[in-house]
Parts: sequence; C-alpha cells; structure tokens
Amino acid sequence: MMMRTRVLAAVGAAVAVAVAAFASTAASQNARPAADDPNDADLTYWYWGEDDAPGANGWLKKQVALYEKAHPNVKITVVTQSTDTLTSAFTTAAQTKSGPDIATQWATLPVLTPAWNGSSVPISDYVPAKEIKNWIGTSENMSGGKLWAMPQYLLGIPFVWNKALFKKAGLDPNKGPKTWAQLLAAAKKLKAAGITPFGMGNKDGYGGAWFFSLIGKQNLNSIDELKAAMIGKAKFSDPKYSGFYGALADLKKKGYLNSDVASISFTQGLQLFGQKKVAMSWITDGFAAGAAKTLGGVKGMGVGPIPIWGKGKLARSFDTTQSSSAFITSWSKHPRAAAQFLTFLHTPQALRAWYKATGVFPADKRFPASLVKDPLAKQRLKLNLSPVSVWPENFVPPQVDGNADLPAGELITSGSGSPADAVKLWEREIAKWKSQHPDEFRAYSKWVAEG
Amino acid sequence: MLWPYLYVLPAVGAMAFAFGYPLVQVIRDSFYAGNFASPIWVGLDNYRGVIEDPAFHQSLVNNLKLLLAVPVLLVLGLAVALVLNDRIRGGRQYQAIVFLPYVLPAAAIGIAFSFLLQENGVLNTALREVHLGPLAQDWLGSSRLAIVSVGGLVIWQQLGFAVVVFTAALLALPPETAEAARIDGAGWWSLQLRVLVPQIRPVIELVTVIMVITMLTWVFTYVYILTSGGPGYASSVMELYIWRSFSNGANGTAASVAVMLLGMASVLIGLSLWVRRRAVAA
Repeated sequence: MMMRTRVLAAVGAAVAVAVAAFASTAASQNARPAADDPNDADLTYWYWGEDDAPGANGWLKKQVALYEKAHPNVKITVVTQSTDTLTSAFTTAAQTKSGPDIATQWATLPVLTPAWNGSSVPISDYVPAKEIKNWIGTSENMSGGKLWAMPQYLLGIPFVWNKALFKKAGLDPNKGPKTWAQLLAAAKKLKAAGITPFGMGNKDGYGGAWFFSLIGKQNLNSIDELKAAMIGKAKFSDPKYSGFYGALADLKKKGYLNSDVASISFTQGLQLFGQKKVAMSWITDGFAAGAAKTLGGVKGMGVGPIPIWGKGKLARSFDTTQSSSAFITSWSKHPRAAAQFLTFLHTPQALRAWYKATGVFPADKRFPASLVKDPLAKQRLKLNLSPVSVWPENFVPPQVDGNADLPAGELITSGSGSPADAVKLWEREIAKWKSQHPDEFRAYSKWVAEG
Repeated sequence: MLWPYLYVLPAVGAMAFAFGYPLVQVIRDSFYAGNFASPIWVGLDNYRGVIEDPAFHQSLVNNLKLLLAVPVLLVLGLAVALVLNDRIRGGRQYQAIVFLPYVLPAAAIGIAFSFLLQENGVLNTALREVHLGPLAQDWLGSSRLAIVSVGGLVIWQQLGFAVVVFTAALLALPPETAEAARIDGAGWWSLQLRVLVPQIRPVIELVTVIMVITMLTWVFTYVYILTSGGPGYASSVMELYIWRSFSNGANGTAASVAVMLLGMASVLIGLSLWVRRRAVAA
C-alpha cells in the first residue's frame, strides 16, 4: 500500500511539474511582444504563380533573398501552392484562423470571399494610396470601398496559332481566325490535313472553365449580367449564359479537340501548343512567351484576340486579369511587415526582374513599356491594355466554380454529359451555395448592389 | 478496489480525447451550418441536403462499385498466396515483387498511373504499338471507365497486402493436415480448396473486413490524384465529397457525410463480425 502511495505521489509530482512547465512555456509565448514592427517579423507567404507565368517561383525566391538582405530581421518563408488546392487549402486554413501571413488567391471572388468571412484585412489600410494608384487592375478586388489584395501581373489570354501547321493545311499562316465560323472552317481543314486543330487539357476542369470565361461571356453585355445569374435575378439556363456549352460540345463532336482532352491536366494542355502538337489554342501570356521560343517567334506563331462567337458587348472584350492576387490574412501578427514586403514587389527592380523571368507584364503603371522589344510581346501588351477586359470566372463564387463550372465542362469534353446536363449542374450548385452559405450569399448580393 | 480504475484512467482519458471527442464533435457539427466561428443550428437539414444531392448519390454508388473490387482482390490474393505456398522456385522474390506496390506511397502511385493511363499515355501507346489499338481506352477521361481505373489501381496496390497475410496464414498451418490429405489421395485443387483455404477462413474474413473499410474510407488519394473525381462526378467517392464540402467551407455537410460513412462502415463491420461468429458457432 505504501509503495502504491509513493508511486502515485511520484506520478502526481511529475504531472504537476509537466503542467507547470507547459503553463510557463505558454505564458512566455503569450508574453512575447506583439508589436507589428515592419522591419522585424517572421512571415509565411503561400504563393502561387508558376502555372500562369513559368519563372514566377524563381523570381520570388530572388526577391525574398534581396528583401531579407536589406531587412536582416525579416524572415520570409515561401510555401508554393498547387493549382488544384489553391482555394481549398486556404479555405481550410481559414476555418481555424491560422496559416500564412500573406496568401495568394485568384482575383475577385476567391479574394473577396475570404475578405467577407473575416479572413483577410484590406491591403489599402496598410499601403499608401499614392503607391496603390500605380497598381493596375485594382478594381477586381474592391469591396466596401477598400482594396483587399495586391495585383502582381497582368495576365492576358491570347488566341494563338501555329503558322507552319496552318501553311501545311493550306491556310493563310498570317491570318488567324477572327470569328467562330472562321475557327471552325480552319479546324476542318487542319483536321483533314491530319493535324489536331485545337488543344486543351480538361481532366481537372480548368479547360472548361476557361471556355466559360472566354466564350461563355460573349453573349453578355456586361459582367453585371453574370452577377445577376449568381444571385437568382436571371437564370443560368438562359442560352445567353449557357449556350456556349453547345459550342464546346460541337468542337468535341467534330473531333477538333485533342483526343486526350479529358485525360490530361489543364497545365499539360497549355503545353501542347508550344510542343507543336496542336495548331490552335488559347494560352496565358507566360506560356505564349515560352511557345514563341520553341516556334521561332513571330515567324512561327500568330497571336490575336479570341475569335468572336457571341453577340453581346463582351464578345469584343479582351481577357486580361491580374489572375492571382496577394492579400494579408486577418490572423497575421505582422500586417505592416507583410504590406511593406508586398510593396517591395512593386519596386522598379522587382518589376523588371519579373518581366525578365516570366515574359509576363507586371500589373504596374511604372513598368516601362520600352522594355518590351519582341514584336509578339508588343502585340500581347497591346491586347492586355484593351479598354474592356474581364475574366468572368472571377465573378463566380468559388464553391460554384469548383462544384459546377469545372465539372460541367468535364461532362462535355469527356462526352459523358450534354449541355443540358451541364446547365442543370450549374443551377443545382448555385442553389446549394445559397443554402449552405447564406452569409456569403448576403455579402455577394451586397457587393453586387455596390456596383 | 479503486486502484485498477485509476491506473487505466490515463489510457481511457487519452482514448476519449483522441477518438471520443472528435467523434462527438463531428456528430455535433453535422447539425450546424456556417463556419466554426459562428455555427447556425439547422437540425437535419445537412442530412436532407446530402441525401437529395445527385453528386452524393454518384459518390455513394462509386464506393459501392469499388466494393466489387474486394472479391477480385481476395480471389487474386488467395490464388497468388496458394501458388507461393507451394514452395515454387523464386517464391520469396515473387512475394517481394507482389508486395512492392503496397509499400509505395499512394500519392506517387497515383501520379505515375495518371500519366500511364492517359489517352495518349504509356499503356495506350504500348497497346497501339503491338497492334492492340482497339483495346486502348480513355481510362481516365471516360465517365464509364474512370472508376474502373481507380478500382484497378487499388487492386494492384492492395494485392500485396492480401498475399502477404494469406501466405503468412498458410505457413502457420500445421503441415500434418496437408500431408494426411495428400496420403489420402487429394489432388492439388482439392488440397488447396478443401483443406488449406477452409483452415485460413478467419484470416480471409479479416482481410475482407479490412478491404471493405479500405474501399469505403481509404481511397481518397487514388481518386484525387488519378481523376479528381471526374469527369464531372463520374469517379467521385464519399471521401472526396467530404473533402470538397469541407474545402468549400460547408463544414456541416462534410460532417453529416462523415457520420453517414462511419455508420455504413460500422454496419458492415458489425455484419461481418456477426457472420463470423455464426460460422464459428456452426
């Protein structure tokens, strides 16, 4: 009995010591100075950009090294994110209000949804207006009169064609299709010549989502019409919104898409054009810059706006977006340090280095256009600075985008569903979003009312 | 009299903390909507929403389809184990080869197979090269075949586990029974099917239960990497449905499916144990 008592006493003492040690550690952690010194901080940056602009990861690594050298008490840990989990990983982290100090999301809804959920802070509260006025595309991330994220680059999606393959099929290599009818006519000739007319990858749904953004918008007169469909003031089943699935199904049915469209990823699809495996495609500025190298520049490839399919005012708009944007999380203990670093990424040397590393134009008015010397790049810059440019996918709530926009296109490209099935999926997921996220729906509706 | 309870208390406490608390929390969450910070009581609405959702039906059906892989796995695993048990030349090497996929990370396997099984991937290219083009299929991009491809991959990876367990069970059998059967004139097939297999029945049942649980709750990685649940929702499974819901911030929906999945797995395991008890009693 005595022995048991001693053992118990010993265990009790050990537990007491452990608890005391734990408590003191916790207390010392809590006692750490929480001052937000912009020059003394450990920052974690969840970064994404490489899939838009190959070379982006290397550029950021160098910029971080430069910044840390200039600010010895600042340590920045970059965690690169994958396309598949960009939104979901952050949404999951935000559930527990923990994770990075700086996060990356695609512009507009993927940025604004966490803002409405209280997971981010307005960047305009930390960066002076005189700096922000130089940034391009800020309107994509405005809500409640505040700017919520910083743009880094301007991503245009040009239509591209392979001049050698056009010539081989008996087409004019210097004249790309300007209308959908011309695209179909060119595709017919290319197919007859044994050439795969159009390339894309849609195993993960992003190829279909691009089709929605590039072609689907073309019957709309403004992006407000799409917002109306999201909040139930218009029906997505209206052919004005969903008729584009017919065009996609038509491409598939006629055999104008690469045969492996349903089994290769979006990124693999973007590479097809530069690999000379397809005659036409639409790709990011970054991939266009890469393809220009393998195809021999302006002699080997043509660049132009997306062929016109629809009859709305947006049919003639170009598709430029800042694509991904950086924002500061609400749980970061160093928002000023984060803002100071993000501002550093817009310094002249950083902008020049960005363009040099990626061939993609920085989203900053201070970037000197004189640096753009390549004729193809000049064409792309001109397209990117078109007066009307919009990327509709940014205006679709992330849940609807992931659960409807992506799988709906997969139904078409795999041949397993009809355009009607795709529309049904959209309507179902819009309704589900409203019922599962009444708070988000209210915030979205309020944002729509802001105009 | 109190001491024994006090001694087990830390272990019970740890178990309650590690398993009981999350379980109760998940069940609780299934009755709420919204985020964790400001949950909204919705009663059974999450369950209703899930039951009415065609994407969930598809996911459930796919899990059930994957269950069809269990008998295939058992038959293949048993067949290989019986052959290896015959002390064939190089048996250990064969066993290592069969077991190898099981020790490879599922993510790595998924990525490798996602390239292998593409429409113009290695498998189809090889088939076309040897004039078997008609057999080349869009293994990942076809809504009909995507879940079959997932099932095939799971069988390929899990086969090693079944073989090793069955082989170990066969090796543990007393050799006298088989020897007596041989003396009595039993042929190879009779020896395997009437003497050896019945003796390892409890192990077969155990592997069955493990495989059923695997097909219901352990295939996320394969599906996510190989097909992302597509095309559309053609190869989605309940785990993926849970992940999608959670990553969309629909925690209540995710929790309700998790509870349903737990219920299903429990029923199947309970059923299996009941069958086993009956068999032992008989």
